Amino acid sequence: MQARPHILIVDDSALVTGALTILFEETGHDVSVAGSIRDAVAAGSARSVDVMLLDLTLPDGDGLATLLELRARNAEPRVTAALTGRDAAEVQARCTAAGCRAVLVKPVPIAELLARVREWTAA
Amino acid sequence: MHPVDSSTTAEHRVTLLEEALNEAAQVNAELQSRDALKTQFLSNISHDLRTPLTAIITHAEILRDGILGPLSERQRDSVASIIGGGRQLLDAVGEILTYARGAANQLTVSPSEFHISAVVAQVSALNEPLIAKKGLSLSVDVADGVPSLVADREQVTHVVSNLLGNAIAFTPAGGRVWVNVTCVRDATTTNVQVEVGDTGIGIAPEHHDLVFREFAQVDPSPSRRHHGTGLGLTIARRLVELNGGRIWLESQLGEGSRFFFALPAGDVTR
Repeated sequence: MQARPHILIVDDSALVTGALTILFEETGHDVSVAGSIRDAVAAGSARSVDVMLLDLTLPDGDGLATLLELRARNAEPRVTAALTGRDAAEVQARCTAAGCRAVLVKPVPIAELLARVREWTAA
Repeated sequence: MHPVDSSTTAEHRVTLLEEALNEAAQVNAELQSRDALKTQFLSNISHDLRTPLTAIITHAEILRDGILGPLSERQRDSVASIIGGGRQLLDAVGEILTYARGAANQLTVSPSEFHISAVVAQVSALNEPLIAKKGLSLSVDVADGVPSLVADREQVTHVVSNLLGNAIAFTPAGGRVWVNVTCVRDATTTNVQVEVGDTGIGIAPEHHDLVFREFAQVDPSPSRRHHGTGLGLTIARRLVELNGGRIWLESQLGEGSRFFFALPAGDVTR
């Protein structure tokens, strides 16, 4: 049997991670949650991640630092998507440059979010 | 205030004047710092409102889509209304945030080349369900040979979306809403001009300046029929001006409104 895809949700709001945890667990995924860069790096190093959903504003710094640190540890998630409150061209450019596959504006309609994650985990 | 009587010497008057000037400078500095504080507050509160709203909308979508089990039709309608209300609140919060950034001069322009017809098509498509629900008709006309723009696409989209949203909100059932795009040339410049018009309630000429003023609503009463932050057009004007254009309106009470904005064309060869 194929393993369930592993989704790492990085956001400092328990309200937001709570909603996304239900969504992904109920649709056949394993979910890890981190509320800071430090916790996200620990979670991503402990078990390989298929998709990391990354908030950009974290209490200990810029969310993109998580991706860079995991990459430095050879533990880069297969796909990283930034979740942001702002749909600005400069945010988009910064995330793409750091290696994010997509930049999604919160709240992402769940149908769209699920479709994207399924597409990335199917490949 | 210090009384100044006829016996006061000129020297004394100068001293009083200097004191008054110092006092005014201090008050001015205090007001500016409070204004900055207010802007920061608006920015923080907007962020703090968005986060729980994001969670509310996501949870409601999980229910609506039956991920936790099937719902009856009425349950689904009810949950869909939670989502609709949440999205509406989110838009209002977004407006406050954009306004706060504008007031703090934190809005920056990221220009790229695009054609306005793509923006108009995108915004029209997004508004189609609302147009149908309100029983309105929408027509879009883009004149031949309108050149592309070099501007901040997201900001221009925001402006078109705001104007079309207002046109829909202020036009009763059976009315018409339109978007016309033309190219206006004079001796020195070529402008892309967008008109968003409607057959709605219209705006009296004495209120034309008011609608672009922050927090202003022509009918500010709590019982007013049309709700909003009163910031939409203030933001629209700011965004148009940031991109080097101008915005104006033509309207009479009861005779619909026509809002226009014009932006300099990016490429006049096409």
